[in-house]
Amino acid sequence: MTRKRQLRFTIIRSLVAILIALLVATILIFISASGATFQAKLEATREALKQMLAGPVFRFSKKNGIAFEAKRLADIFAAMIPTVFTGLSVCVMFSANQFNLGAEGGILLGAFVSAMAAIYLPLPAGLHAVVAVLLGGLAVALVMLLPALLKTKLDVSEMVCSLMLNYIIMYIIKFVMNTYLADKTRGSIQSFPFRESAAIPPLVDNPVFSGAKLSWGFAVALIAVVLCGLFMYRSRWGYAIRMIGINQDFAKYSGMKVGAVIVLSQLLGGFLAGAGGGIEMLGRYDTFTWTALPGYGWTGITIAILAGNNPYMVPLAAFFMAYLSKGCDLMATYAKVPAQLISIVQGVIFLFFAAEQFLSGYRQKLVVKSAQEEIALAQARKEGA
Amino acid sequence: MLNFLKILATPEFFFSILRISAPIIFATLAAIVVEKAGFANIGLEGLMMFSALAGSLVSYYAGSWVWGLLAALATGVVMSLVMGFFAFRLKTDIILVGIAVNMMGSGGTLFLCKVITNLTLGNAMASTTGLITRSLCIPDIAIPIINKIPFLGGVLSGHNLLTYLSFIFVALTSVMLYKTSLGLNIRSVGENPNAAASVGVSVLRIKYIAIAFSGLMSGFGGAFMSMAYAQGWSLDMVSGRGFIALAAQAMGGGECLGGMLSALVFGFAQALGIKFSAVGLDSNLASPIPYAVTIIGLVVFALVRASRAKKRHSAAALGKGARK
Repeated sequence: MTRKRQLRFTIIRSLVAILIALLVATILIFISASGATFQAKLEATREALKQMLAGPVFRFSKKNGIAFEAKRLADIFAAMIPTVFTGLSVCVMFSANQFNLGAEGGILLGAFVSAMAAIYLPLPAGLHAVVAVLLGGLAVALVMLLPALLKTKLDVSEMVCSLMLNYIIMYIIKFVMNTYLADKTRGSIQSFPFRESAAIPPLVDNPVFSGAKLSWGFAVALIAVVLCGLFMYRSRWGYAIRMIGINQDFAKYSGMKVGAVIVLSQLLGGFLAGAGGGIEMLGRYDTFTWTALPGYGWTGITIAILAGNNPYMVPLAAFFMAYLSKGCDLMATYAKVPAQLISIVQGVIFLFFAAEQFLSGYRQKLVVKSAQEEIALAQARKEGA
Repeated sequence: MLNFLKILATPEFFFSILRISAPIIFATLAAIVVEKAGFANIGLEGLMMFSALAGSLVSYYAGSWVWGLLAALATGVVMSLVMGFFAFRLKTDIILVGIAVNMMGSGGTLFLCKVITNLTLGNAMASTTGLITRSLCIPDIAIPIINKIPFLGGVLSGHNLLTYLSFIFVALTSVMLYKTSLGLNIRSVGENPNAAASVGVSVLRIKYIAIAFSGLMSGFGGAFMSMAYAQGWSLDMVSGRGFIALAAQAMGGGECLGGMLSALVFGFAQALGIKFSAVGLDSNLASPIPYAVTIIGLVVFALVRASRAKKRHSAAALGKGARK
């Protein structure tokens, strides 16, 4: 199949998967829409869909009509920061065919460690945030050694181990917060405020950017995308990770140190998730308030699947998910449809993207067409000669 | 310390171990059968969430726990068959299918709950705990003669119908796997699908049966969670039991009896955690105990397996030397 056809197939396949998910969403919205008559329900569904699909960038009002909304777009970009990191983290780990699901606990732990560094380490501005984020990343990388080493040394399922670690991390952080680190003068469980030197400043100092908390973390996330892409496609280690993912036995027989590479991929994945948690924490908040798993890890898995484990595609997939999430929030506010609809939409898109044989008939047709054209071309050349 | 041991040596404590283990046993059986058929269903967590919601809602609207239980089972089976469709027909990696179901199981159940009941507690949360009364739960059963025995009666009698069923299903599943032709087919498909196909076994059909069985067991587990363990469904109530079951399957060496014993170990760990928090330990320190035990259990199991393999290896080498 030619490159152009391959690209066309990928695009069409993605669009069909998204359309199916939106169809499922529409049906669910219709069922949940308030309204006595069929007509009223249809109207409510239309309103909800409008909010979900166009709401993230446009504001609808009776007075002003449709207006572009920069603040909401900035919100979406800001929401991408943690999920780009978890997406990259999952990409690196899944590329080696290691189903480590620890990004969820990883981002929580990274955020926690960075927050503690931001409170208790006296460092000059600028350096402080960098050190805090690095510490967050290193802490998670260290924790990810456990599933990685257990997998390579004892063949313990990295998936079960990392899932259990998520729960353990959550409870221990809750315990430490409640018992030792909480600011007892406050009503809710939260830490003491971060030192000002640790804050990650907004990307541009204007009300839209700082209101949306669109920090320099966004730029760092994009740099991380490029670095990750270079690592996966242009370095020896990245090549080894991808080879192991494709065929572990082959990689082993061709002399790759499979165990070391698997450990490396999960260390790196852990570092990315942890650093992402730190950047999110220091860029958006001024005290540590997370008491439950934030869900960015699971979104990261969806993003990695949408991106086909290709780091360069992660920002696009993260943008899509953030857009959808913002849309669902707006829909919940303006159209009274529960925002958790996103879980179902996300799950459906996820399933169809991961389905290898989805639209395989169409792909077959394209392959056949390409082959026929090639034969015809060869024939014509022969006759010409 | 002695006082604490005294608290443990009560019939109530052992009773609670059995009660806590029941849903894990169901999920473990689900994990065992699909593993025998050669794949892993990591979506048990999500399946149990959906079954739990369906069970509590239907039992409320139909006014009877029987319908609730049937709905939970049907939900588990239908959803697992859809998982099978994606995995076997559309060739999606079965692990990813499981992740997708777990993802939907968390927020998706909350969405359905809100939409169906029109309940919103505050603005964020909703649960069906307000709807389910004691009579809509699956009943407890006192066993006539055993409940008269002093200590044992307190441990064994008065459990929920599903708790007894979970242990009965351990035996039934074992018989199914090792004494019926279906079980033989399942195991042969898991061990060598090509060989199984060559003697006329429909590999696809067996895989669908295995995943449907895992859905059925998740249905029981989910129904237990929302209609016996707690009264009504609430968000993320399964809290990792589906994942713990995967570990129990591995620790039990993939066999029913071993899986049951491993599930009981987790039940013990959790019951112990509850007791610890009753005597003043922070509940945030007691709650992670079962998850930590899972990791430790997996490591111990792997070490035992490794040393066994080594022994077998050296025995084989010795045998070779003797023959020379």
